[in-house]
Amino acid sequence: MGSAGQSHGLITARDAGLVACQQCGQVHVLQARICKRCEGRLQSRDAESLQKVWAWLIAGMIAYIPANVYPMLLTSTLVERSESTIIGGVIELFEHGSWGIATIVFAASVMIPVGKFVAIIYLAISVQRHSKANRHERHKAYEVVEFIGRWSMIDVFVVAILSALVQLDTIATVNPGIAAMSFALSVIFTMLSAQAFDSRLIWDADRTQQ
Amino acid sequence: MNDTTDTGPAPFDVRPVKKRIWQRLSLVWLVPLVALAISLWAAWQNYADRGTLITISFENAAGISAGETTIKYRDVTVGEVEDVEFSEGLTDVLIHARVDKTVAPFLDDDAQFWVVRPDVSVRGITGLETVLSGVFIEGNWDTEADVAQTQFTGHEQPNLTRANQRGTRVVLRADDGGSIAAGAPILHKGIEVGYLEKPELSFNGRQVIVNAFIESPYDRQITSSTRFWDTSGFSVSFGTGGVSLDVSSLASLIEGGIAFDTVVSGGEPINEGHRFDIFQTEQSARDSLFTDPNAEVLEVAVLFEQSVSGLTEGAEVRFQGIRVGEVRSLNAIVVGDTATAEVRLQAVLAIEPSRLGMGADATTGDALELLSDFVTRGLRARMVTGNILAGTLFVELVEVEDALPAIMNLTSGDFPVIPTTDSLISDVAATAEGLLARIDALPVEELMDGAIDLMDSFERLANDEYTRATPAALVALLDDSRSLINSDDIQAIPADIRKVIGDLDGLVTEAAELGLVANIDAAVLTATQVATNIELATQNLPQITADIEAFTARANELELAALVTSATASLDAIDAFLGTDDAVAFPGEANAALSTMRTLLDDVRAGGAVENVNAALASANEAAKAVEDAVSTLPALAARANQLVTQTEAVVNSYGERSRFSAETLATLRDIQEASDAISSLARTIERNPNSLLIGR
Repeated sequence: MGSAGQSHGLITARDAGLVACQQCGQVHVLQARICKRCEGRLQSRDAESLQKVWAWLIAGMIAYIPANVYPMLLTSTLVERSESTIIGGVIELFEHGSWGIATIVFAASVMIPVGKFVAIIYLAISVQRHSKANRHERHKAYEVVEFIGRWSMIDVFVVAILSALVQLDTIATVNPGIAAMSFALSVIFTMLSAQAFDSRLIWDADRTQQ
Repeated sequence: MNDTTDTGPAPFDVRPVKKRIWQRLSLVWLVPLVALAISLWAAWQNYADRGTLITISFENAAGISAGETTIKYRDVTVGEVEDVEFSEGLTDVLIHARVDKTVAPFLDDDAQFWVVRPDVSVRGITGLETVLSGVFIEGNWDTEADVAQTQFTGHEQPNLTRANQRGTRVVLRADDGGSIAAGAPILHKGIEVGYLEKPELSFNGRQVIVNAFIESPYDRQITSSTRFWDTSGFSVSFGTGGVSLDVSSLASLIEGGIAFDTVVSGGEPINEGHRFDIFQTEQSARDSLFTDPNAEVLEVAVLFEQSVSGLTEGAEVRFQGIRVGEVRSLNAIVVGDTATAEVRLQAVLAIEPSRLGMGADATTGDALELLSDFVTRGLRARMVTGNILAGTLFVELVEVEDALPAIMNLTSGDFPVIPTTDSLISDVAATAEGLLARIDALPVEELMDGAIDLMDSFERLANDEYTRATPAALVALLDDSRSLINSDDIQAIPADIRKVIGDLDGLVTEAAELGLVANIDAAVLTATQVATNIELATQNLPQITADIEAFTARANELELAALVTSATASLDAIDAFLGTDDAVAFPGEANAALSTMRTLLDDVRAGGAVENVNAALASANEAAKAVEDAVSTLPALAARANQLVTQTEAVVNSYGERSRFSAETLATLRDIQEASDAISSLARTIERNPNSLLIGR
């Protein structure tokens, strides 16, 4: 049982017959179900973790499609009325020479969400396959994904601020498009997906193989 | 290895039983399912709501951009351009657009599309909104769904008429399209009630055809007797009424315009697409109103020998001053055989039978018969000057009284020929020339010379010394007159007269006192006797008059012959009579008697002595007697005169009254009668105032 952990000179809490409260960190025996300190639910491993990860991830990816297909901003000025999608806006900014802003927008709106999808998929698949490779790197990747996910909301914030500020009736008006809502949902779903991932599963590869 | 050696129960397996797959499934899977469902539903909805794709072909796509240009119907956006591409062979620009599903069924074959661009014209600015927003495609179709189509051909120009706009479209024909432009207004009593669409050449290229759309309810004004005319530009007409300038509206001045009016009632309602002609002027349009353009006209020809310069096609044909038709055509034709061929100018007159007063249903045959009848009675055609300044002519049918007999030539040539008579062409140049010639012929210079002479004479007269002295002389004369009147002698005259009267009064008184009445009675008796004699003499005078009248009556029956000798003899006789001593002496004697009486009175006055009165009375008596003697010859004189008249009567018995002799005779007789009257008057005076013989008045 403990040979795997022992082989690396590390044992898990589960191997030690312990379980830690995920809220307050109090250590209990493995059979405990409720934290004696904070009354939080004690769970040595979340058996449904991967299901949740996949479910939220798929929902986030579904939401990401309209976020890119539909316009993010509805801009009405006196002379014209334009609708710009995320990619369209990036290209437009790029063409206008605003490299910096284009890069930021592209990073926040495309690279980060897509990167998160890829990272979460990789993590989930690797856990499912009980892969023993790169366990430290995967754990780092998970932390990065969880940390950086919130920054994807920068796009939604920009749209929200513009919509609130630029309301000059007929002269110029900015309204959020359907994509803004979808994008926000996509980010939220992805964050929930990342949160649902139980990183302890990364280290259980040895044990479950037995 | 353990399994074979260990006899105890199998070790406790703590692995939990695997749950069934649906038990292991987390509820969180609902989230992506719901998301997927929503996405799919949205996608399907989007697809389902997607409009119908149509394709419009244009010659060019100026201003049209995919994804931005919209398609509007009655200013509501109903679609958007999705793609712009070329057709095969680059012949057209194909615009792919999606239109709302709600309107797609109405896009049948009457749907029209055009690009709305800013347009600045005389009539206003349209499409201004497209300056900022870019062009859009305007579509128009009716509200009846037919077989929907997806391929359309766009119009380059906006279609002016909405498919469901109520009104009537008529077809106008004009000879010249220069004044007709698409969109030009149609005016009715000055109100814009419609517009012209794009003018096109007719099939044979002879006329310009333009569709005109008259909006409801104004289209009710249009009947078969409506006339359209061109109001474009302005017209200056120079007629008998003076110069008139017509400008309809500024828009029509530049863009052209058509007006119509229905003056006479009784026209039939028209159908869509009725054809009308555009007349050049309102006047010609109105003139044509009184005739049905489809009515038959009688075409007759007139052959003029002289130049028809000034006569134009369309010139009036008048009969008795009333327009009955117009000149249809003018051309030269050769008349006669080759030997006697000569060129005549043929004017073909189109005469409307209804205008000849024959009624609406008269045929051209009836009119021809009537005209033929008129021609045999002297109807002739001639050219008459209509406008001296313009030199225009019209043809007048006039009845010539002493016309050479002629008949209408009904058989030869294409048209019946009306014979001509001399034309009344008053050329403005000739008229002016004649006027100048007359002015030239006036003795202006002589008149001026005479006037100058007259003025010279006046000047000389005025400058003459005597003329200048005249006023002074007049003043002197007036002064003399005044001094004469003021002189004592003149002033004394009334007093002298009064004194004379007083003297006479005294004289009479003295005479009465001296018992002179008896003598005076005697004198009066004598004078009475004289008067009786004179009366006797004068009694013959009526007789003379009667004789003269008889003579005059006879003279009426006289003849002129033997006038001179007898007249001379008679006049000689009269002269002889007048030259007799008695006639001559009588006034002398009378004068002598009166002189004697005057002398007597002078003596009386001079004497002033009462004693001499008797003598004076005696003298008066004597004088009266002398007068009596003188007057006693009067009967004799009258008798002689009577005799003379009788003679004259006998002589002149056979002469007429009107001759110069008779006039002289009558004058002579009048002289005689006057002499007799004088004598009679003298006698009456003496009879009334015997004492005038005494007093000498």
